Amino acid sequence: QCPHKWKRVKCVHCNSKNHSRDRCPSIWRSYYLLDSNVRRVLPVHKIFCYNCGGKGHFGDDCWEYRSSRVPNEDGSAFSGENLPQELK
Amino acid sequence: TLNTDYPWILNHDHSKQREIADWLTLEIKDFVAYISPSQEEIRVRNSTISKIRNAVKDLWPDADLHVFGSFATDLYLPGSDIDCVINSSSGDKENRNCLYSLASFLKRRKLATQVEVISKARVPIIKFVEPISQIHIDISFERVNGLEAARVIRGWLKETPGLRELVLIVKQFLAARRLNMVHTGGLGGFSIICLVYAFLQLHPRVISSDIDSMENLGILLIDFFELYGKNFGYDHVAISVTDSGARYLSKELYGSLQNPRTSFALAIQDPGDKDNNISRGSFNIRDIKKAFAGAFDLLTNRCFELDAATFKDRVGKSILGNVIKYRGKQR
Ligand SMILES: [Zn+2]
Ligand SMILES: [Zn+2]
Repeated sequence: QCPHKWKRVKCVHCNSKNHSRDRCPSIWRSYYLLDSNVRRVLPVHKIFCYNCGGKGHFGDDCWEYRSSRVPNEDGSAFSGENLPQELK
Repeated sequence: TLNTDYPWILNHDHSKQREIADWLTLEIKDFVAYISPSQEEIRVRNSTISKIRNAVKDLWPDADLHVFGSFATDLYLPGSDIDCVINSSSGDKENRNCLYSLASFLKRRKLATQVEVISKARVPIIKFVEPISQIHIDISFERVNGLEAARVIRGWLKETPGLRELVLIVKQFLAARRLNMVHTGGLGGFSIICLVYAFLQLHPRVISSDIDSMENLGILLIDFFELYGKNFGYDHVAISVTDSGARYLSKELYGSLQNPRTSFALAIQDPGDKDNNISRGSFNIRDIKKAFAGAFDLLTNRCFELDAATFKDRVGKSILGNVIKYRGKQR
């Protein structure tokens, strides 16, 4: 019945098709960063996966089937995407 | 516009913050300051404990009394019980006669009312209320593991900014939903601390030294509820915490941590015994996970709502209020 049903809305903040702009995770997922003058090294030995328990990757990036039945459409904090720019 | 349901926001309005996450961070700090004990409460607690300690030493010269649990780590909510343990050089105080003789000794000295002696439990205890302070006290006998755990936790607190604040919020959140008592399958204090500690130790922004956790408590709280409410693989992943940090383990490789009846169970490896799961009593993990997911939805929906509101409509509003449901006494 809805005349706009066919129209896929894209979020203007992040280009995602999963949500509209007024429900964009970027509204709350913002970190207050330290000065980035320090050169950082990626602490690979501290990276663990919430999905399989394995080492070296974050849960969002796991290639095993998803263990939790709750969907994770927009991605979570535990993703390689959530590393500082120079460490991705 | 004063909202007495959320007393910690009185005179602490952050509605003009540009970032909603910063507003939430400031509100978390206000709540933690609000529920933290005053100097007077600390004084009353300390003098109560030393009165009981002196009485124990009068009755048994070879014994001493120590606090452990949330009081020893400063991670308690208002009105919590104080957990104490009596250890002695002869090591013989955990028997029925001793329990009853201490109970009547404390009653005679007017240090205990509403006394209950629970001598047949796996861990025998005396429960009572100290009549002047009205503080509830539990005393157990001849054990050191509680004291050892408190020492480990104090070390974590010292080196992990934000741990204390997040633990207190999560504790209050679970207490309001009656999901914090192990005997009904809820999460005990030590398990809560381990969950928050592991979360902080493994967070991408924290491990890369990109943020100061104390300035990011708001987004970290949301990330915590998101991890354990939506994404964590309870069926396959166990949590390991040691002096040197936290890590995940695959349950398939650590079968002793697996619950024999269901794979959907929280598993936290005991730092002192690698085959022991310290959260095996928390059988109600399904409701706990659901509650965490609900907290994530409540918080993020509130953020969307307040982000869209005018500054005028935001004044005096709370982000945290409906999530933590604090109904304590006024301070
Ligand atoms: Zn978006
Ligand atoms: Zn994985």
